[in-house]
Amino acid sequence: MRRHLSAAVVAGWGLLNGLLLAVLAVYGESAMVYWLWGSVVLVLQLVALAVLLSSRSGPDQHVRYRVPDRGAGAVLPTAIGLLLVALCFVYGRWLLVVAVPLLAVAAVMLARGTTARER
Amino acid sequence: MTVAPPAARRDGAGRPVPPGSWLGWVSSTDHKRIGLLTVGTSLVLLLVFGVFALLMRTQLARPDETFLAAQAYDQLFTLHGSGMIYMVMTPFALGMGVYLVPLQIGAPGIALPRLTLLGYWLYALGALTMLAGFAAPAGAHAGGWFSYPPLADSAYSPGAGTDLWIAGVFVAVTGTILMGWAVLWTVLRRRTRGMTMLRLPVFCWAMIATCLMVIGAFPALLAALTLLAVGRADASVFLHNTWNIGYQHIFWFYGHPVVYVMFFPYLAAVAEVLAVFSGRRFFGYRGTALSLLVFAALSMSVWGHHMFATGQVANDYYSLTSIALLVPAGVEYFGMLGTLLGGRLRATTPMLFALAFLPQFLIGGLTGIMVGTPVIDYHVTDSYFVVAHLHYVLFAGSAFGLFAAVYFWFPKVTGTRLDDRMGRWHFWLLVIGTNLTFLPMFALGYLGMPRRVSTYAPFDGFGALNLLATIGAGFLAAGMAVFVVNVLATLRRCSLGRARPAGDDPWQAHTLEWATTSPPPRLNFPADRPLPPVTSFAPLLDLRRRERSGA
Amino acid sequence: MRQRHVFGTVFTLESAVAGLVFLVVLGLLTWVVVERRTQEASDRTERPRVEAFYVAALAAFAVFLVAWTAWQNSREPRTAVVRPLRVDVTGFQWCWTFAYPQSPAHRQVTGDCHGRSLPTLVVPAGRPVQLRLTSRDVIHSLWVPALRYKMDAFPRHVNTFTLTLDHEGRWRGRCAEFCGQRHYAMDFWIKAVPPERYDRWAHGAAAAV
Repeated sequence: MRRHLSAAVVAGWGLLNGLLLAVLAVYGESAMVYWLWGSVVLVLQLVALAVLLSSRSGPDQHVRYRVPDRGAGAVLPTAIGLLLVALCFVYGRWLLVVAVPLLAVAAVMLARGTTARER
Repeated sequence: MTVAPPAARRDGAGRPVPPGSWLGWVSSTDHKRIGLLTVGTSLVLLLVFGVFALLMRTQLARPDETFLAAQAYDQLFTLHGSGMIYMVMTPFALGMGVYLVPLQIGAPGIALPRLTLLGYWLYALGALTMLAGFAAPAGAHAGGWFSYPPLADSAYSPGAGTDLWIAGVFVAVTGTILMGWAVLWTVLRRRTRGMTMLRLPVFCWAMIATCLMVIGAFPALLAALTLLAVGRADASVFLHNTWNIGYQHIFWFYGHPVVYVMFFPYLAAVAEVLAVFSGRRFFGYRGTALSLLVFAALSMSVWGHHMFATGQVANDYYSLTSIALLVPAGVEYFGMLGTLLGGRLRATTPMLFALAFLPQFLIGGLTGIMVGTPVIDYHVTDSYFVVAHLHYVLFAGSAFGLFAAVYFWFPKVTGTRLDDRMGRWHFWLLVIGTNLTFLPMFALGYLGMPRRVSTYAPFDGFGALNLLATIGAGFLAAGMAVFVVNVLATLRRCSLGRARPAGDDPWQAHTLEWATTSPPPRLNFPADRPLPPVTSFAPLLDLRRRERSGA
Repeated sequence: MRQRHVFGTVFTLESAVAGLVFLVVLGLLTWVVVERRTQEASDRTERPRVEAFYVAALAAFAVFLVAWTAWQNSREPRTAVVRPLRVDVTGFQWCWTFAYPQSPAHRQVTGDCHGRSLPTLVVPAGRPVQLRLTSRDVIHSLWVPALRYKMDAFPRHVNTFTLTLDHEGRWRGRCAEFCGQRHYAMDFWIKAVPPERYDRWAHGAAAAV
């Protein structure tokens, strides 16, 4: 238990949400709310499962770390590309003409591992 | 601790940059840089949206004022609210987590650094997009920060401003979700040797609760915005009451937990500051950690109290859960007051902000119980009473925690302290301004002034109290000006090399970030200096105690 | 004016409790700031028994508050069930319409809320009035501050509430939900007149009420 306390915290928190949802069901509420909150409880249990799997496959506390930075140069083009995709909603699909090539460039940068080498 | 160096140094893809260059900033995977970018961006935006508030207070200073047209006023209050909530208080809170959590748990970096960086850029670009609405022909969005349909649909809010608002908020909130996910994974799965869950600093526990809410509740906002976008493309959607009330449910399912996302990190910063400047361990640690989690879970269940007056929700349930919040909130006050009661206080600038946080937030909390009671809410909801309440929570509470955090961690981040005398000016101007601005609003709401009105008539009798509030806003502006001068002057002294170094641990603090240099090196802890053993949630306090008893 | 009385009771109690709690915390803080500057810091990290009693007290108070306010809220005056006078209220951008379907003359009051031309919701004093609330376009909210009550007006949905004005008078009503540019001006009057005068008016008498 103590070893997997991190997963237990997430799972327990999700269950507490489930309990509150059950109390709400006693009072009655529109069906949409059950779907909304119920799926959130489910997502939280999946997160707890991910934490559990991770903590079973590795130590709870670490002495060795990896600090990845490969492909960090792709992040800004990705962000701009995603923004342009979102802006399609405002200005129309033609923006994809710009967004898709930009995201392709970002993908290439990511594959090549382009990054700014600090120091 | 052994750290595999960043991969790029090995495989050589990409170009080498000196640490200070702009490429090093925009593509850095150093959590400290990402945290600083986030915190810095939100501080700049705090000033921008603060100016909007000053314009609104000017318009409201006198009855029948014509300083701003109704149309302009509506855009300003919408962007002030959306901006402060989506783009300032939430990102700052998560930015603090991005900067501090890896340091506090003794890790050399954050988990998922590239995703965190993507989160920052999405946030920054989203904020710009939202602000770009002012350049749209019909101006920015003018539907309030919760933008209920059908008012926000394409029939009643035509124009690109609303579309830009939806796109901007969507992108920015996606960014904050990514940051929350990275911080949560870091604190759960990147702790150093000895840092068990029950030795996490209070701030880290608060970030766990915060990030759980981010993951659980923030996607609901994306869903609500999607619904709004669909409704703008096809106006027939909001011809059905199901979707009008449904939007409110989905929105507030996000809209209440976000209040605690904008509260816990600041509360925890205050808790750290109180413990450090009381010269003792935080009192009631386990109760506080547990109460944060319970508080967060309850906060997921109270959204309907924003909808008491809709006549379409289970009011009794939401009243029950809202009033139940007083139990975990009471436990947190127990811990903080208990820390002070057995402490030996040092009245530093961060401590002043932390001390003022306690009674001021309490006003927000106690009036929160009132508005959580349906009978009272029927009168005061959508009035200035609610405006006063939420500003006591978010400004008199959270923003004071924010400034306590800035003064407290500034020497760690930059290597030098902010000027203390200017800090005290900032503090006193802010205390006077806050209470002068927001206390009269309780009375205004009680007397019948609705929120979001761009003007009022002379015979309404709101003039004197509004004038008082506007004078208070002047004090706030003066206080913020002092703060800006203080930060800029100190940063300039730093860059000229004329600043007095603060040292690694200027405050005799408790947590691991104070065991490294100021500012910390790229991988957080110098290789030649072993981390102090993590023996409790205040490892540096233990270390000092052992040294003293050994000596 | 049941709503007003219930609000008064609950608001007074909660304000008193809130004021007390605030003063206690402020007092403690003042004492701490004055007194705890010189003493040695204590080493005690927990007082589980005190904390347990404190939590129990908080929980008990919360239970009381929930139960008591819910009871106050549901306290219906027994007389309200006798056939109330019905008024159909419709909010629109940016004013109100009050229709009286039961009045022989099918009275209907409306206005444009510009300047002083505010519509007046006329009701007989002492008789229960049932308001059926809806909207023609966006969401509005009918608020009469003096009654301490408001309720939202949704398009394609009817919200109902009953009120009784127990004495004559005229009060200001407002729109409380932001509904667009002239939201600030969407005011109306609510006027309670003697029942016989109301009846004359409902029958189409031209006399102003």
